[in-house]
Amino acid sequence: MKLAVLMSDYRNGIDMIDRLSADSLGIVFVGNGVYHAATKEGGKASSLLDKKANFYALTEDFETRGITSAGLDSRVKAVTYGDLVDVIFNDYEKVIWL
Amino acid sequence: MATTKLAFIVRSLPYKTEASRLALTHAIASQTVEIYLKDGDLVEASVSYVGDGVLNCMKGQQGMKHYGITTIEGHAKNSLLLDMRVLICKEDLDKFGLTEDNILMDAEDIGGETKANIVAYSEIQKEMETASHILVC
Amino acid sequence: MGKLTIGTFSSLVGSLSLDFAVKLAEAAVKKGHKVDFWMSGNATMLAKKGQKAFKDYSFLAKTIQDLIATGNFQICACEACAEARGYHKEDCPDGFIRKSMDWYLASTFDADRVLHIGGD
Repeated sequence: MKLAVLMSDYRNGIDMIDRLSADSLGIVFVGNGVYHAATKEGGKASSLLDKKANFYALTEDFETRGITSAGLDSRVKAVTYGDLVDVIFNDYEKVIWL
Repeated sequence: MATTKLAFIVRSLPYKTEASRLALTHAIASQTVEIYLKDGDLVEASVSYVGDGVLNCMKGQQGMKHYGITTIEGHAKNSLLLDMRVLICKEDLDKFGLTEDNILMDAEDIGGETKANIVAYSEIQKEMETASHILVC
Repeated sequence: MGKLTIGTFSSLVGSLSLDFAVKLAEAAVKKGHKVDFWMSGNATMLAKKGQKAFKDYSFLAKTIQDLIATGNFQICACEACAEARGYHKEDCPDGFIRKSMDWYLASTFDADRVLHIGGD
C-alpha cells in the first residue's frame, strides 16, 4: 500500500510507525511532530528519519515553533497545506494520523 | 454494489480520553450506514487493538459501577454481538502478560456468536492493507 | 477533483489539531476538492454558535462559514456528542449538520481519501 502518516507527536507514535510497512511510505511531520524534522537530542537526529520513507514537514507548523526551513534535516522537504493536499491525493492511497 | 472497508486501529488507553470509546461507537455505527447508501452498497468496519490499545480489552471493567458510564468492554462486546471482525495483537498481549483468560473474547452471554481473534501483528498489517481507509484512534 | 472526508475528535481549544483539520479542509477546497468534515467527542465544541475571537484561543468560525459558502464543504457534528456537552440544535451555527455517527461512515463510502484524527 501507499501510505502517508501524518505524525503529530514527538514522543508518542514512533512504535506504531516502526511496525508499519508500506510499499511507499510518506511521513509528514505536523504539529509537534515537526520536532522530528529538526531537533537533535544528544546530537542525534530522530530515528524516524532513518526509515525508508519520503519525509515532509508542514511549514506552518515548524515556523509556528520557531524552526526555519534552513533548520530542517536535509532528508525533509518543507510543504504548505496546499502541497500537503497534493501529497495526500496524488502520492498516497491511504492516510493516517498519529 | 460496492463495499468500503474501514479498519479502526485502537492504540489509545481507555477512559482518560474518549478515543477508544469513539472508535468502537463509530465502528458499530457501520451497522446502520445503509440508510445513506444505495441498495447493495456497504461500509464494513473492523476493529484492531494494538500497542497500549490492547488494554481496552480487559475483562471485568467496572466503569458503570464507579462512574456511571458504559464500559469499553461493553462496547467491545456489542461489536462482537454485531459480528464485527475484531483483531487483538498477540505480541502486545504478551508484552502485558495478558492471555485469553484476561480479555474479552466473545459475547456469548448476550447471544453473540462471533469471537475476537488474537493474531500476530502481521495480520493487523494485512487488515490495514486490505482496508479502503485506516482510522487510528 | 476528489473528495476528502475528515473526521476529528480534537477539541477547539487546546491542541491545534482541529485547526489543522480546518486548514487542510480549506486548502483542499481551494484546490477544487469536496470536503466532508465530521466532528465527534470534544470536536463538537466547534458546532456551538456565538464563539468569540480572542488572540489566545483558536477561532475557526469565520473560516468555516466561508467554507460552507463555497458549496464544496459539508460540516457535521455528532448529535449525541454535542447533546452530552449541552450543545443543542438551537446552539448549532448556520449551515452545520447534526447527525449520528453513521453519517460519517457513509461519507467515507465514496471518499477518495479519509483523514481520521482520533485524539487530541
